[in-house]
Amino acid sequence: MFKIIEHTADIGIEAYGSTIEEAFENAGKGMFFIMTNGGKIESKVVKQIELPFDMDEEQLLVDWLSELLYIHDVDHLVFGEFDVKINKKLIAKAYGEEYNIKKHGYGMEIKAVTYHMLEVKRNKKGYVIRVLFDI
Amino acid sequence: MWNGPLEKIDEYRYMIPKTYKGIKGNLKMKVPAVIYANEKMIEAIKKDNAPEQAANVATLPGIVGKSLAMPDIHWGYGFPIGGVAATDANEGVISPGGVGFDINCGVRLVRTNLKMDDINGQIIKNLVDELFKNVPSGVGSKARIRLSMQQINEVLDMGAKWAIENGYGWDEDLEYLEENGHLESADSSLVSDKAKKRGKEQVGSLGAGNHFLEIQRVAEVFDEEAAKVYGIEKDQIVVMIHTGSRGCGHQICTDYLRVLEQATLKYNIQLPDRQLACAPVNSKEGESYLKAMASAANFAWTNRQLIVHWVRQSFENVLHENAHDLGMHIVYDVCHNIAKIEEHVVDGKKMKLVVHRKGATRAFGPSRKEMPLKYRKIGQPVLIPGDMGTASFLLKGTDASEETFGSTCHGAGRVMSRSEAKRRWNGREIAKMLERKGIYAHPASWTVMAEESPDAYKDVGNVVEVTHGAGISTKVAKMVPLGVVKG
Repeated sequence: MFKIIEHTADIGIEAYGSTIEEAFENAGKGMFFIMTNGGKIESKVVKQIELPFDMDEEQLLVDWLSELLYIHDVDHLVFGEFDVKINKKLIAKAYGEEYNIKKHGYGMEIKAVTYHMLEVKRNKKGYVIRVLFDI
Repeated sequence: MWNGPLEKIDEYRYMIPKTYKGIKGNLKMKVPAVIYANEKMIEAIKKDNAPEQAANVATLPGIVGKSLAMPDIHWGYGFPIGGVAATDANEGVISPGGVGFDINCGVRLVRTNLKMDDINGQIIKNLVDELFKNVPSGVGSKARIRLSMQQINEVLDMGAKWAIENGYGWDEDLEYLEENGHLESADSSLVSDKAKKRGKEQVGSLGAGNHFLEIQRVAEVFDEEAAKVYGIEKDQIVVMIHTGSRGCGHQICTDYLRVLEQATLKYNIQLPDRQLACAPVNSKEGESYLKAMASAANFAWTNRQLIVHWVRQSFENVLHENAHDLGMHIVYDVCHNIAKIEEHVVDGKKMKLVVHRKGATRAFGPSRKEMPLKYRKIGQPVLIPGDMGTASFLLKGTDASEETFGSTCHGAGRVMSRSEAKRRWNGREIAKMLERKGIYAHPASWTVMAEESPDAYKDVGNVVEVTHGAGISTKVAKMVPLGVVKG
């Protein structure tokens, strides 16, 4: 689950999960929701992603979403499902298909993932993530 | 609402004194902050936290003079957008937050010999549709030329010179670009493969959001002498391009924020906000960022140069006349997101500084040499893009702008979120409204039309009045759109 949050010149998401992995998966879904305007994304291709966990959880989140943004720009893909494992590094599978404006709709061009109000927080129910994008 | 101390200096200047301790009470400002605004505007500026950010910037190691904020200031990541900060190039720091993600986002103005009498609504429509066909725009707009990794390296190292050498433009073009479209300090070996691949996919494209390509009419001339030197007159048709370094620059910023974040810890730099991450200019991290940033700037100049080439071709295709005969010379090209090493006089002493301009434009006056010979009597042209329904401005730089390290404003700034704009308006209705005003728009999507509605922005005219009144750049001409290509 995720929620869109916004401010005058910015947009971001709050994503939830019972585990940090699930929260990361939902953050990915939220980002592509903003980019596509919510059109259904089918799982036709899968991308393997591996990232070092060498700083903190917040930095890992920025790295994770930045990586998805990079793949989107270079391979013209959008993703709707994720399978994330976090241990000493982040290992993930991202499922999606080629971006098609007619099918997926048009949301916003996200330039980058920012550190503003960035948060990966643990609460009673699990994890809450907050992240804002530069658009 | 920001409630910190503001001392009114004069009609156009407000100061946050050095004694201000910040919202948390522990801020150590090294210099005061000055906000350029009039009485009405300052109230709107206080609505977000941008003044606090201007105060935060004043704590950076090696900052000199003042932390400055232009009248279009609004909240940004770390530094406010519309912020200018100069640090000592020998003892100060460099911060990617003072440049922004869209490195060398900028504006280019191309003139023509055409006047209002030479065109009509149908011609404008044909031109806009042809531009839309020839210049990739919109979300994830893809490059129409395929470059190898070797060629991308050349673009990053050479800037607009690469485009000219490869047939995309005229030899004279380079003279009319800030820095001649090329920062010497660029080093493509310090740019990640990721940034290069994103650049490869998007070189020569407009992108989305507030970026645009417009056919404009010169609606008013305020300064005949300067306009004449710039080759501008009333009712003339001109073309304005507003775009930056695309995914290439965004990736370079993302990559180096990570590096500089660690450098901040390594050099034990105390900051009031994590997003001000920085490193000494002379450190390995600082130098690497400056060189990678210069590469992104070169990419952006190439990007705008390719677009100019296709603009000229589009005019040739529709009007069946050669672009040279149409007089399609570049008036100027400015960057409004950049950090540059420049010499300025501080307290009577000449100093080498790193001038961070984030949502601010260089506005050098006649005493500076960094501009085409032709313009040296007048000062550098300054290009201020409006939004699609209203006006854009051509200003001239002044020697008085030395108080802002030769800087002025950059545009309008949003007053409403994109989703709010989408909820309020329908893109097609906005296109109709523009049509009634005599503006033909061809957006990559109708959603963008709603998001970028003129009412979602501050009035650029008010912003320009303040810089004019304060004397840091003065009005030369006002342009209004006739045709719009939106990303």
